[in-house]
Amino acid sequence: MTLRFKLNGEWIECEAEHNETLLDLLRERLGVKSVKRGCNVGECGACTVLLDGEPVNSCLVLAPLVEGRSVETLEGLRDKPVMRELIEAFVEDGAIQCGFCTPGMLISAYALLSRNPKPSEEEVRRAIAGNLCRCTGYVNIVKAILDASERLRGED
Amino acid sequence: MELLATLEKAKPIAGGTDLIPLMREVEVEVEHLIDLGGIGELRFIEEEDGYIRIGATTTLSDLVDSTLIASKAPALWEAASSMGSVQIRNRGTIGGNLCNASPAADLAPPLIALGAEAEIRSVDEARWIPVEEVFAGPKVNSLAGDELLTSVRFKIPPRGAGSAFEKIGRRRGVTLALVNAAAYIELEGETCRSARIALGAVAERPLRLREAEGRLMGERVSEELIEEVSELCSKLVRPIDDVRASAWYRKEMSRVLSRKALLRAWRRCEV
Repeated sequence: MTLRFKLNGEWIECEAEHNETLLDLLRERLGVKSVKRGCNVGECGACTVLLDGEPVNSCLVLAPLVEGRSVETLEGLRDKPVMRELIEAFVEDGAIQCGFCTPGMLISAYALLSRNPKPSEEEVRRAIAGNLCRCTGYVNIVKAILDASERLRGED
Repeated sequence: MELLATLEKAKPIAGGTDLIPLMREVEVEVEHLIDLGGIGELRFIEEEDGYIRIGATTTLSDLVDSTLIASKAPALWEAASSMGSVQIRNRGTIGGNLCNASPAADLAPPLIALGAEAEIRSVDEARWIPVEEVFAGPKVNSLAGDELLTSVRFKIPPRGAGSAFEKIGRRRGVTLALVNAAAYIELEGETCRSARIALGAVAERPLRLREAEGRLMGERVSEELIEEVSELCSKLVRPIDDVRASAWYRKEMSRVLSRKALLRAWRRCEV
């Protein structure tokens, strides 16, 4: 079937199988490689994307369901001020070890800060509860998100 | 609904957070999926004629973001907040949680405790059934093949009523309940005018514990009475041993969680 949807701000048309997931569509057909396949059952969050602005697991979304909707990945968000600040903080705080969870973490953190510019540590932890880091680098990830939020509020 | 009635091996799908992993493991074989997620008319939370009515494709995030649910039905709000991750809550729906009919479905105990009914529709019929009757057995709902759950509703709890939800899992977040419990208490003065208690993951389907409710009705509520009622709750459940927990542990937790839920529901009653 032919699908039409907005990918990172631009309307695209592409072919997809009825039973294909958004994750496979993005990675295999469209070459969007920041979206990672981890568990494939919605536990690990490595495949997190924004669907109409809200974080979802792309492994649990069937491709036909994104018809007419907006999908955003790290490729499209990397130059937004909030994401730039997050990326910088992740690098500075050592919040990246193997890096596999990083794109999903950044998307969840971006969604949090877009909604709540001044989250508490508990709110940060809840926001990334659906993103597993098997290097268990959570302490620095949480710190980086809090640092980015401070800087964005100009409280450096 | 016409599609559901005419297609072979068709299954409705809402958020897909339960169904897609199951289809991948070929535990569920489906020829056609009918997407309900795109039906905007099924996604609503509204007050109408003294009821709160919630459309089937309302997401768990919608429930968490609703000040109406938070203020009038805290048990339901707490249950939705406890479920999955942000990503799952953005996709998972109230109708999906009920229709997948997991005995551990977190929205079932609070809805049962709130006395909720589910609207079941087919092409030419509509009926309301108590939420507990949506559940037929583990992962089996009671709907006919051509029926859909389209909404749930419950009476807006009056002043003097309180509700609460409790859950224990293997970890703090993003976890399946080993046991979950919800309680609803309505007071008149210090006397209990109405009470409902429901527990999940302790039987083949979520249980409403009418015998335990009966011990509260018409009585003066106290910590001692709640202690006694929660003892009774743990006797009424019939959990199984499985990979997640033993039956003995689930019985113990049934007592602990029903006590906590009753105490918090009671403290929430503004008289």
